Amino acid sequence: MKFKSFFTTLSALSLSAVTYAQESTTSTSSALQISGSADTYYKYDFAKKPNIGTSFAEDHNSISLGMIDLALKKNTGKASFVGELSFGPRGQYASIPNGNGEAANADNSFHIQNLYTSYAFTDKFSMTAGYMGTFIGYEVIAPTGNFNYSTSYLFTNGPFQNAGIKANYVFSSKAALMVGLFDDWNVYKDLNGVSHFGAQLTLSPVEGWTAYLNMLTGRSAGAPGTGSIYDLTTAYQVTEKVKLGLNAADYSVSNDNGGYSGAAFYFQNAFTTSFSLGLRAEYFKTKDIADAEGSSVTSITVSGTLKAGGLTFIPEIRFDNGNTARFVKNNLDPTKSASQFSLAAVYAF
Amino acid sequence: MLFLFLLPQALAAQTGTNEMSKDENGKYIYYQVADKIIVPADSLHQRCLSFFKNRKFKNLAQKDDQLIAEGKMIINKTAFVLTHPSGEILFNFTFETKPGKYRFWLTDFLFIPYSRDRYGNFVATTAKGRPLENLPGKLNAAEWKSYIDAAYKQSDALGAEFKQFLSRNPSASPVTAKPKTISTTNW
Repeated sequence: MKFKSFFTTLSALSLSAVTYAQESTTSTSSALQISGSADTYYKYDFAKKPNIGTSFAEDHNSISLGMIDLALKKNTGKASFVGELSFGPRGQYASIPNGNGEAANADNSFHIQNLYTSYAFTDKFSMTAGYMGTFIGYEVIAPTGNFNYSTSYLFTNGPFQNAGIKANYVFSSKAALMVGLFDDWNVYKDLNGVSHFGAQLTLSPVEGWTAYLNMLTGRSAGAPGTGSIYDLTTAYQVTEKVKLGLNAADYSVSNDNGGYSGAAFYFQNAFTTSFSLGLRAEYFKTKDIADAEGSSVTSITVSGTLKAGGLTFIPEIRFDNGNTARFVKNNLDPTKSASQFSLAAVYAF
Repeated sequence: MLFLFLLPQALAAQTGTNEMSKDENGKYIYYQVADKIIVPADSLHQRCLSFFKNRKFKNLAQKDDQLIAEGKMIINKTAFVLTHPSGEILFNFTFETKPGKYRFWLTDFLFIPYSRDRYGNFVATTAKGRPLENLPGKLNAAEWKSYIDAAYKQSDALGAEFKQFLSRNPSASPVTAKPKTISTTNW
């Protein structure tokens, strides 16, 4: 009961300075939107070593910081812009790019999540240019965008963001197409010219079900071949409480220069508006490169979310098992499996 | 002819209170009745259809003297300089006429929360709305109450706009009046 009272108090505090206004959606010019999030976490790896290669939640037995994320958005008529910056380990050291490319500035920066402008020529056709969260994959950098706090291997190995210019056309409420020209993955500027082509077909066959068919191909600066990723990301809200998701991707670099493939399945059930439980089951495999044989790993993650106003607690337990000894035991002997517990607090505003 | 378009002197408000009421089935409802109406019913229906079109209401259904459509209102969260959409509320709007009077009501309110997507835009997190009557429990009660209050305020504003729209002669009052040109040559 004390636990519940604690959350009730937190909820009341979080709302004490908040009022809810109303606004017509027909306005051609919006007020400046300000939003963001802050997160922190504790992780305990049962081998007492930072074992599992998840993005962001890396520190073992430490109350560590995620990031504070600040986003601005404004639209005037048909034009709009989004600027989103993050500060803190999750945004700076764990996200790429970091700094301006100079070694001396590598750990001394903020990280741009989004920085783009957009123009809607019609209700159906718009164009966007700048630096954007990637259209590839199920999970995102911001912790408010994911159900699980630790991230999948598909997320960690895929692109985080893409700079570029893209055109989006909405055929109907059930289909849309995006095509664009992009820089290399995760860079503010492209050293070998605009080198990538990407496309996304969005399908919404029935209410609650959306599927994205994504592809991105191009040769990055210094890469041994052309990298191409094909990705399916889909989610289906089966009922008010139950949601299913699937992410499957294949990435390969031409001339047998490796890549990866994998799939992650997501199941979430909202027992109440305050408490949900979710499972992520993932299989991930790296491809062979020359004499190096690829390896695979399966991962099971069970996360809960406990919401009180803008605050969400995420207790999580995760078990990973590889086909090779990719992890270490407490005594540093190699082992095929690893497990960890984490508790994260994420506040969205 | 002008007097034909002068509409009700008496509009019966739903409860006289500034909060959402419930109907006999326990559902939240915003309910209004207008009497002493001298505009013909078919004109009221045409104006109602125009209103639905202007507000981009969906799934229009017509039954006898009743018009039904689905609408949406955006709920914004504001605190000091911070503002952004926090969700949307879907509702059914029903309009009905009888000789000399009409009534309308908004009900079947469903709340859909928004969250920020990977591009920094606020979008619906689910396609399945939660009825406003389904209280979420203590942890999120205050937030839910604010949604109900916002639904009432927006319904009240929408109702006032609707009544004003029905009361005016569409042909006599263009939606966008041209600004008056000022001459700087003759003075």
